[in-house]
Amino acid sequence: MTKQKSLFKMLCLLSFLLLLLSGCWDQKEVEKMAYVVAIGLDQDEEDENRVKITYLISNPEVGSLAQGGGAAGEEPPREIISFTADDFITSRNLANTVVAKEITYDLLRILVVSEDFAKNKKFLRWLYDATKEREIRRDIKILVTKEQTSSFMIDNQPLLETRPHEYFEMLFNRGKKAGMVPSSDLLTFFRITEADADLFAAAYGTAQQNDNSSGKNKDPEQAIAGELQYGGETNTVQYAGSALFKEGIMIDTLTIEETRLMFLLHPTENPVAILTNLPDPFNEEYQIATRIRPNGQVKFDMNLKKETPSIDVTVPVIIEVLTNHSGTNFAKDSEKRIKLKESFEDRITKKFEELIKKTQDEYGTEPFGWSLVARKEFLRISDWESFDWMKTYPDIEINVSTEVRLGNFGRQGEMLNIKDVRD
Amino acid sequence: MLKKLLKKVYSKKPNVPEKSSTEDILRKEIQLDGNLEQTLGFFKEIYSYPDNQDFVIRNIHINGMSKKAALIYIWTITDVTLIDQHILTPLIRNNSTSSKIEDIVSIQSVDTKNVIKDILPEINKGSAALIIEGDPQAYLFSVTNFEGRGVEKSENETVVKGPKEAFTEKSSTNISLIRKKIKNENLVVESLTITERSKNDLFIIYEKDLANEKLVENVRERVNSLQVDAIQNLSLLEQHIEERKFSIFPTVLYTERPDRAASFIEDGYIVLIMDNSPACLVLPATFWSFYHSSEDHYLRFHYGNFTRLLRIIALFITLFTSAIYVGVVTYHAEMIPPDLLLAIAATRERVPFPAAIEVIIMELAFELIREAGLRVPSPIGPTIGIVGALILGQAAVQANIVSPIVVIVVALGGLSSFAVGDISMNFSIRLTRFLFLLVASLFGIYGMAALFTFGIFYLVSLKSFGVPYLAPLTPKYVSSGDTIFRRVLQYEMYRPGYVKPKDIKKK
Repeated sequence: MTKQKSLFKMLCLLSFLLLLLSGCWDQKEVEKMAYVVAIGLDQDEEDENRVKITYLISNPEVGSLAQGGGAAGEEPPREIISFTADDFITSRNLANTVVAKEITYDLLRILVVSEDFAKNKKFLRWLYDATKEREIRRDIKILVTKEQTSSFMIDNQPLLETRPHEYFEMLFNRGKKAGMVPSSDLLTFFRITEADADLFAAAYGTAQQNDNSSGKNKDPEQAIAGELQYGGETNTVQYAGSALFKEGIMIDTLTIEETRLMFLLHPTENPVAILTNLPDPFNEEYQIATRIRPNGQVKFDMNLKKETPSIDVTVPVIIEVLTNHSGTNFAKDSEKRIKLKESFEDRITKKFEELIKKTQDEYGTEPFGWSLVARKEFLRISDWESFDWMKTYPDIEINVSTEVRLGNFGRQGEMLNIKDVRD
Repeated sequence: MLKKLLKKVYSKKPNVPEKSSTEDILRKEIQLDGNLEQTLGFFKEIYSYPDNQDFVIRNIHINGMSKKAALIYIWTITDVTLIDQHILTPLIRNNSTSSKIEDIVSIQSVDTKNVIKDILPEINKGSAALIIEGDPQAYLFSVTNFEGRGVEKSENETVVKGPKEAFTEKSSTNISLIRKKIKNENLVVESLTITERSKNDLFIIYEKDLANEKLVENVRERVNSLQVDAIQNLSLLEQHIEERKFSIFPTVLYTERPDRAASFIEDGYIVLIMDNSPACLVLPATFWSFYHSSEDHYLRFHYGNFTRLLRIIALFITLFTSAIYVGVVTYHAEMIPPDLLLAIAATRERVPFPAAIEVIIMELAFELIREAGLRVPSPIGPTIGIVGALILGQAAVQANIVSPIVVIVVALGGLSSFAVGDISMNFSIRLTRFLFLLVASLFGIYGMAALFTFGIFYLVSLKSFGVPYLAPLTPKYVSSGDTIFRRVLQYEMYRPGYVKPKDIKKK
């Protein structure tokens, strides 16, 4: 019996040890990791088959007032290292020659690519490494920079948002709501590239201000990042406009205005509110400040089976009038309101038409996500594939119309009559 | 195999010299024969008179019958004034020659017994025995007066709205408290002597037109089959009659509130009451009876359900917070929102232990404070509170032994554990929490999910007196739907189907 008893004890002990030893194998302590918030990808200058990786590593101790964290006041909020590697997976080990902690992509928020590299044909292969890596989430953002990403990261010094991940998150959220930059998700990039029909719009940013451009006299909406002139004491980095990718290669950039129009034409990606100026139909001297909001879904009427396929797009928007320099009282005059509405409709429709023409002539396909809507017109995938959106798109007859509903005319309807004041 | 081994270990009888009591047992079988001297001799021997200080033999002479007699009782458990005024005085002053004892003595209940064995338990329960020369029987007068405290407020199951009285250590008081709530002739109070040496009495209370006979019979059988020398009170009895002694979950409800007991009886449950227990046992018990409190029904519909909601949240917080913290921090860092992750990483930077050890240290400290706080004499109590809160919380963080987030996690879990009022369920949840903590530190969320699944299997497999533990949630039974939430009183139309009541519909 004692033999059996000891056997039993042994079994208990063994099963306990089995649990103890088999557990914990993939354990990682949070404080022993270096959190990469942004990865920069550049073409290596010397070797075409290598990339220059830039890591922006967040320092967890900054911005934490908790006790026990120790005096973090002296430490910088981030650490940036750049080096050449074969890809950004193996680079994790290479980084450990400099960084003491294990590199993790758990907090990766943004993938920064230089414009040069994005225009490279090989770029797509490296980007697809992200699908293999388990730690990289698909909702991270893609940012295209005008310059090398290594210098972009160093120049990017936000003054108020010390934690880098917070800075990028808030920037993209706000940019999307105001329609300044597209949402630019990695997942969307993969989806669009693999669907091989639309253009992907990535956010565009730079730390270099263009001094020589005619930006000073230019309408700010016609600008892209780098062309806007900012004064004061702030971060030199600008995010504005978008970079267009066709079949995984960057082909062009869109200005702020074009990005906003793209948002309005998109069936799913809707900006919250766009603040912009439209010309005053009653006095050419003045501009009217407006807030444009989408008013429900964009309506499509697609007729793709015809010889010349046609698409009718109706974009419903609400426009609120925010300033009124000409002093016209729209609120009390229905005729003037109708004129205002028509002028808005004409203006926006014209802009839409220009952009669509540009996409048809220059790009051969569109960044508006219309192919998803068009796909529903076909019964079989093979039908859709033989239709070949990318090839057909330039020849499609597209009619855009805008449905404007006038919203508020500001808090106070009546304007000061300047002539009366100055008589 | 485990069972066999354990039986082997426990069934061994230690080799200690014992003394036979056959002689004593034989003496107790003797019938009374009317010889007063001899009978008194037996009693003196049995009760070790005069060593036994509170055993009294009062010799008297009954005048009218002109016979010698003796009154035997234990004065510490009898009402002496009652004996004096209603037994001794009438007997001594009696003048009529032929009147029967029953007519002389003005005591509520008089009984006669003629075997010593039958007389002894009555005396032990506080009766006085009158033995008369030439009369082959003893007259037993019930003059019991055990000392006890009065009915007080319930201390462990407090309510704000609702009756405040609680059971006391006196079974007669407790039964009276129940009868006060159920004034019905169908309320049966069965009495059983369940132990051999101490002769502890057990009262089985149920409504005979509600409670299922099989259930009552089952309880009776299980109680009768006990072969124990002494079971002092219900807390001990509970452990004797439960089915799975090693189960971490309680299967018998222990409550100190007569109103709860009464409402269970009214639903067809069975209630056990014993002397020396300021509580009762309710059978059968489901998981929900431990999770509920009587106030849930005393409060109005929304208020009651709000407390239920808080309680179920608290239950899960207790079970999972510290485990989730450890699991997420060590295995699934990507699940944490970035700001929180960085905050955790920053505070953990200088903590020398892994997250699991850190949490286990704090959990143990919390349990120590709780246990010490419970046992500490009340004048020192506040000191423990200050030491616990200040030294362990604040100083441990400042000394970088634990990170501040762990203090929050552990304190939240500890605080929430008080929301489940029942002491047994409270313990089972606190212990399960440690299991979760262990698997989370070994396997992360995966381990927790596995243990939780296993735990649910186990809960479903449990039974209390034939009733599934999670009934009526699963398996489904006709019931008032009183599980996680309760219904409006008017819609609680049925008695719980799983206790198989004789009348299912409440009017």
